[in-house]
Amino acid sequence: MKNRVNRSAGRLSLLMFVMASLFVVPATGNELLIRITEGADSAIPVSVVPFAESGQMPEGDKVSRIIQNNLQMSGEFAPLPPEQMLSLPSKGSDVYFRDWRLLGQRYVLVGQVSNSGGTLRAQYELYDVSQEKRLVGATASAPVSASRSLAHHISDRVYEAITGVEGAFSTKLAYVTLERNADGAIYRLQVSDVDGKRARVRLESDEPILSPAWSPDAKKLAYVSFETGKPAVYVHELESGNRERVADFPGLNSAPAWSEDGRSLLMTLSKDGNAEIYRMNLATRDLSRLTNHWSIDTEPSYDHTGRGFFFTSDRSGGPQIYHKASEEAEPRRITFGSRYNARPRPGPSGRYVYYVHQRDRAFHIARTNLESGAETVLTRSESDESPSVSPNGRMLIYATKSGGESVLTVIAADGGAAYSLPASRGDVREPAWSPIVR
Amino acid sequence: MIGHERDIGDRTQPPWKSPVALSVFLHGLILVVALAGWSWTTPISDPVPPSISARLVTQAEPEPSPVVDVIDEPDRDQERQEAEEEQRRQAQEAERRRQEQERAEEARRIQQQKEQEQQRQAEAEQERERERKREAEQQAAKQKAEAEAKERARQQAEEERRREEAARKAEAERLEAEQERQKQEAERQAREERERQEAERKRKERERQLKESQLEALAQEAEQEREAEERRRKEAAAAKARQARMLSESEKYRGLIRQRLMSTWYPPASATSQMSTTLQITLLPTGELASVTVVSGSGNTAFDNSALSAATAVGRYPVPDDQQTFDAYFRQFPIEFNPENAQ
Repeated sequence: MKNRVNRSAGRLSLLMFVMASLFVVPATGNELLIRITEGADSAIPVSVVPFAESGQMPEGDKVSRIIQNNLQMSGEFAPLPPEQMLSLPSKGSDVYFRDWRLLGQRYVLVGQVSNSGGTLRAQYELYDVSQEKRLVGATASAPVSASRSLAHHISDRVYEAITGVEGAFSTKLAYVTLERNADGAIYRLQVSDVDGKRARVRLESDEPILSPAWSPDAKKLAYVSFETGKPAVYVHELESGNRERVADFPGLNSAPAWSEDGRSLLMTLSKDGNAEIYRMNLATRDLSRLTNHWSIDTEPSYDHTGRGFFFTSDRSGGPQIYHKASEEAEPRRITFGSRYNARPRPGPSGRYVYYVHQRDRAFHIARTNLESGAETVLTRSESDESPSVSPNGRMLIYATKSGGESVLTVIAADGGAAYSLPASRGDVREPAWSPIVR
Repeated sequence: MIGHERDIGDRTQPPWKSPVALSVFLHGLILVVALAGWSWTTPISDPVPPSISARLVTQAEPEPSPVVDVIDEPDRDQERQEAEEEQRRQAQEAERRRQEQERAEEARRIQQQKEQEQQRQAEAEQERERERKREAEQQAAKQKAEAEAKERARQQAEEERRREEAARKAEAERLEAEQERQKQEAERQAREERERQEAERKRKERERQLKESQLEALAQEAEQEREAEERRRKEAAAAKARQARMLSESEKYRGLIRQRLMSTWYPPASATSQMSTTLQITLLPTGELASVTVVSGSGNTAFDNSALSAATAVGRYPVPDDQQTFDAYFRQFPIEFNPENAQ
């Protein structure tokens, strides 16, 4: 009897074990975590639905079209052409998520623009299609003449909502164009929107203009001009058009770079017989020599800390990228992958440095991870030069050859799809991406 | 038995053949012949008058009373005629009787005379006869006494013998009864013994059966226990195998789900390898998403949102058809989004 009780107790416990295991298994199943360490290689499918319009619209591109182009240019988005859309809603209540899901879209931007008394007013909403959730709903306005600024602003908002990174579509580009005609060459320093539109010539010269550099407040440009017949460094106030020659030493005056506070410029001078890097206090014009080596040291650029800087030196036999963590620190060589690495431009995060990289007689844009030392070649074209990183670190602009002419190309900073800026006449080179002005 | 033999010897001479009986019989015979011879001496001239019978009738039988049939009611005329007939017949009868009486009176007077004579002679004869008879009787009495004595002795012996026989018989019967009783007793005892033994046998049989059945039950229980153990072992092995199968099956579908999520996840520009968002996914058995919640966020809204968006963008999760595997691994599970190769 006791045995029987024990047995039945045993059976009961077995039953309980079996039943418990039914509930325990899922619990252990929960421990089997699915870990996603990589995302899609492709750009994010996004639909910028043409905004509904009311009132007189300005000439040129429509606001939604500008936004679509911006997102496309970033390399991170793959906007759906409007002609493929099943419907053109202009407000959230008209968005049928099923349609957009069918089209494989992840985000949908809808909006309406109205012109009231010369002011453009845009109401826009960004939706996450899969979650059927509104991420952004806002209204922005601008003078009719600034419709592109309005579009860039909305682009920035959309970009930041999706990526978590501040948009850089409202920033500016500075570059130099070269037009050759019967009388010779005309160099023009120009400033445009990041999409290459609204370009305005700031300086025109028969002599070369090189190395434009934005002041931290984006109100000034420093550059090298040969207008006097020899290279000199100028600081040009954009709004007023006032310019000042700050460095006109014997020999080489080149490659200006602004300090974080905008009070100093790094530059390469050969006044002492050899090309060395100096810091000039713009207020006092005092110089501090930061490098001292028999080889050429040039092309300085402050790092993200504002204390150290990168530069190019051929002290190892060929041009290579070096870094000084501070003005007094010993230079550290960064690049080793090939015989030619020059023109360093650090990203804003301090994680990467971008530069021109020669491989198999071709010049590419490459970057090196400063933590790991890993080098990644970002471009496939053959004559790439003058890389400049967008202030949010997400885009990279550089000059390259296309059909015998030099053009500017924008790529994602991690090497995504390339977007060529519409070239104005002739060669375009020496691009410089402005900082974000807050 | 002994008496019996004696008895057989006596019976060889029956009692009527004894001398006493023969003597008595002869005396009687002589007397009868003498009497018959005396009556034959009576003169034939004196025939027996018919009055003798009449006298006997008158004396012996009274006039019978008329029969009255109380039941029948006969015809009156016939009754009257019959009554007249009867009257006449009675008158004739009365006449015939008077004549007969007169003749009888005469006959009686003659007869009385004859009878007186005869009586005298008869009395003398009777006296002689009585003498002879007395002598014979004495002889007979003597013989009879002897015979009676003999008979008594024989009867006594017979009685004795019968008594003995009875006693013997009674004894035999008693013995027989005793034997019978003893026999019955023995039989009863034997029967009781048999019954007792039978009962004992049955009891033992029952005990044996009980024991056997208990043993059988024990054996059966042991067998059941073994079987249960075996079953448990097999079930455990099967469960293990099933779990292994489910695990490998789940591994396969986890791979498929991972693939799907890798194609639907767009790590945002802000993503770094340090960012990690874990979602809790709840699926319907069809693979459709029932719900998704952020278990632990990255602190970056866009990153968390990209994970949520990726998880919800999978229209139908690849899940095993096997319900158990589904329940075990895919009804609810966590997904971690962590871009290892991000900046």
